[in-house]
Amino acid sequence: MERQPYFEYASGYRQAEPVCTLAWLIWGLSAAVVTLLIRNPLYLAIIALASWFVYLAVGRGSSLAQSWGGLIKLGAVIWLFAVPFNALMLHQGEHVLFRLPLTWPLVGGAITLEAVLYGLTSGFALWVLLLVFSSFNVAVDASQLLRLLPPFLYQAGVVTSIALTFIPQMLASAKEIREAQQVRGHRFRSWRDFLPLVVPLLTTGLERAIQLAESMESRGFGGQLTGLSPRQANGLRFAMLLGLALLLCGLFLRTYWASAPLVGTWVMIVAGLLLGYVFYLFGRGVRRSHYRRTRWSRADTLVALASAVVLGGVLFVRARERLALAYYPFPPYGFVPAFNPWIGSLLILLALPGFWGLWDQIRAEPMLTRPRKKDVL
Amino acid sequence: MITFEHVTYTYPGAQRPVLKDLNLEIADGEFVLVVGKSGAGKSTLLRCINGLVPHFYGGTISGTIRVQGLDPVRCQPRGMSTTVGFVFQDPEAQFVVDTVEAELAFAMENHALPQATMRKRIEEVLDQLSIAHLRDRRINTLSGGEKQRVAIASVLTLEPKILVLDEPTSQLDPQAAEEVLTALQKLNTDLGLTIVLSEHRLERVVQYADRIIYLPGEGQPPIEGAPQDVLPQLDLVPPLIKLGKALGWKPLPLTVKDARRKALELPLRPAPLTERCARSSDAPVEILVEDLWYAYDGHMALKGVHLEIRRGEFVAIMGRNGSGKTTLLKHLVGLLRPRRGAVQVHGMDTRRVPLEEIISVVGYVPQNPNALLFAETVREELAFTRRSHGLPLEGGEALLEPLGLADHAERYPRDLSVGERQRVSLAAILAAEPLIILLDEPTRGLDYAQKQALMRALRAEQSKGHTVILATHDVELVAASADRVIILGDGEVVVDGSVREVMTHSLIFSSQMNKLFRDDRYLTVEDVLGSLS
Repeated sequence: MERQPYFEYASGYRQAEPVCTLAWLIWGLSAAVVTLLIRNPLYLAIIALASWFVYLAVGRGSSLAQSWGGLIKLGAVIWLFAVPFNALMLHQGEHVLFRLPLTWPLVGGAITLEAVLYGLTSGFALWVLLLVFSSFNVAVDASQLLRLLPPFLYQAGVVTSIALTFIPQMLASAKEIREAQQVRGHRFRSWRDFLPLVVPLLTTGLERAIQLAESMESRGFGGQLTGLSPRQANGLRFAMLLGLALLLCGLFLRTYWASAPLVGTWVMIVAGLLLGYVFYLFGRGVRRSHYRRTRWSRADTLVALASAVVLGGVLFVRARERLALAYYPFPPYGFVPAFNPWIGSLLILLALPGFWGLWDQIRAEPMLTRPRKKDVL
Repeated sequence: MITFEHVTYTYPGAQRPVLKDLNLEIADGEFVLVVGKSGAGKSTLLRCINGLVPHFYGGTISGTIRVQGLDPVRCQPRGMSTTVGFVFQDPEAQFVVDTVEAELAFAMENHALPQATMRKRIEEVLDQLSIAHLRDRRINTLSGGEKQRVAIASVLTLEPKILVLDEPTSQLDPQAAEEVLTALQKLNTDLGLTIVLSEHRLERVVQYADRIIYLPGEGQPPIEGAPQDVLPQLDLVPPLIKLGKALGWKPLPLTVKDARRKALELPLRPAPLTERCARSSDAPVEILVEDLWYAYDGHMALKGVHLEIRRGEFVAIMGRNGSGKTTLLKHLVGLLRPRRGAVQVHGMDTRRVPLEEIISVVGYVPQNPNALLFAETVREELAFTRRSHGLPLEGGEALLEPLGLADHAERYPRDLSVGERQRVSLAAILAAEPLIILLDEPTRGLDYAQKQALMRALRAEQSKGHTVILATHDVELVAASADRVIILGDGEVVVDGSVREVMTHSLIFSSQMNKLFRDDRYLTVEDVLGSLS
């Protein structure tokens, strides 16, 4: 008889105390804004490594991990396009690789090493941005994000989230229809040959949407439970319209009354405050409950603080010295990007959620499941 | 209490009402089974109970409907949601969020219930439906039966008095269907929940029902009563009931257990065992699958499959949802190419031959007939296939008559019933005159009459020497038509043998007659009646 282990170990370890959605949102926003502000490839590389580390430590075990590769591949494709685009459009620089005839519109002229490097850096920045989004995506799912919406926006949020989940479903349907028609001998010869693919796709999508809508309405979705009287609700709607009108006026004044730009700004600030207050009152009026309320833990404080420090630090550096975060390979600057160890160290803080996840995994004991005493010899 | 008084409902644009002067009463705590032909108005009747009809579909309605004293037409589905829970046919199409616990909370959050109430109710429904172990799982990782139980749980959190289910097991394998129906029976018995359920496969559900409502369609009045009283009046019934009717058993047995005592007393004449259609060992090999492996996104769907199918065989591929049936069929038609191993179809190696050559001999009817249908008329659907295969247009119309579609030749295919659409998609594939016909779950949503029509058509194809392979959960269809059964389990061929041999030794994939007699001579009612002295 084969000897059985006394305990059967689960394949993973006990789940780390998760970082809450709001803290992840702060992390994601901070990492994304910082990436948008930086062009220096060395700093971008640090952000990329930090995001990757976060994915490895936290996201890889997530059930959403399968989606991680998609955006990264998309980013790589954009990066590949960015290089020839910049090389063909920017003709400055001293290191000429070759020349295209000047008679060629837009692309004619010198193709320089500087332009190629600039394209590489720009593409890299976009790729890092998508890497940040990918890591954020695998750590937080859409339904958790929906819970952060104020109650009166919840229904719009659900509809948006369903619309987004419809895209992969439609792609799956399109594949199924294409296969079915392929087997029937369908080939593309003219525009009419799109019909066998488009008609079933549209009707299937419509039928699915109706089924989902039936299911949602049968479970009480669609009716906003509100503590507001019809008169109060109408008053708030009017105030919202007023706020939006003021916002437009402010924008108009700021754009076309150049001699007094502050007037427009102040009108916009007043409109913003009014709209904020209206939304607050709407939110208070709508009755909606949440099954799981998120708890703010020590990890959340650490992640949020670190993210805020990184964002604040980068904004401070950029305000003091605009070029400190930039990379500009064109003359009079050199090819080699500058590197300030303080800024580099600051950016490493973005890896904190990863360190936290790793630390929690290390200290967690292996999970014991299903004691199999009977099998012990 | 549910009451319908003189209810007449007509869909927008329809010439005739689907429900006409309908009078019904369903008492609290009843388990009611609604049956009838496709298009008889079963789904419409169910949707009237929570107001989806007419709120969602428009049309004209007259008469009075009262559900626990409420008027669903006035209250609308939202207002009825705390009184009536509604579960749909396709578990995939009714989920809003992506984890089990969040899905269970969805309805209660819409009603702004306090958090403590939500927690209590979720714990209760998780236990009632035995799905506590699934609470943290993502919905897309669940099996078909688990998904349907989660769908039921998601409406039970509002503590409705009535649970309405529209063909909840039609897409499930026998084992998953059993899980769902057992859960429903428990809810009905333990909680006194009123259950109104429509279903085509009576053999699965009839034993659970207190009462049957049969809708004959065409606006005729329903036949109602206890199963033993209603079933003798119906033409198309499960094999067990058919046998009971033929032998005049009273009361009619609803379960195999009920029938066993009477079956033992039958004077059966031992007859020599004959294969329905012997596998001719000298017929050429039409399909050869050797050590086939295939993985989707890291999940191994097929693991070293070996198969040999000869010309003219009628083979059923069975197995639980996700066991690899569709993946195997897609390999046979060349839509998927082997990652490891080889597939030879009609002498062609699918790894080397272009798809155009394979589909000149293989026809594939996918699970969803809607994926095929796009043309303005049924006739044009057939013409499209023939044009695509370079065949003369006029030959295809001969298919319409045997498939019972001659009267629908000029109709828009998507306006037809599920069964008719299934037959149109079969006709659209047969129009290419394939030598090998593959069908993926062709009986989903079909009533007994439509299944028989489909079976006759497939038998006719086999008699022309064509090879028929169908992937299905429908054991009665297989018992009545297939020669050979291959059961797949987790991507491997678990059993491969003659239909008599496989069904006799299987607990799940066996027909009612076979379960009753446990004898490989009796698969169908005709086998039993033929052996009576």
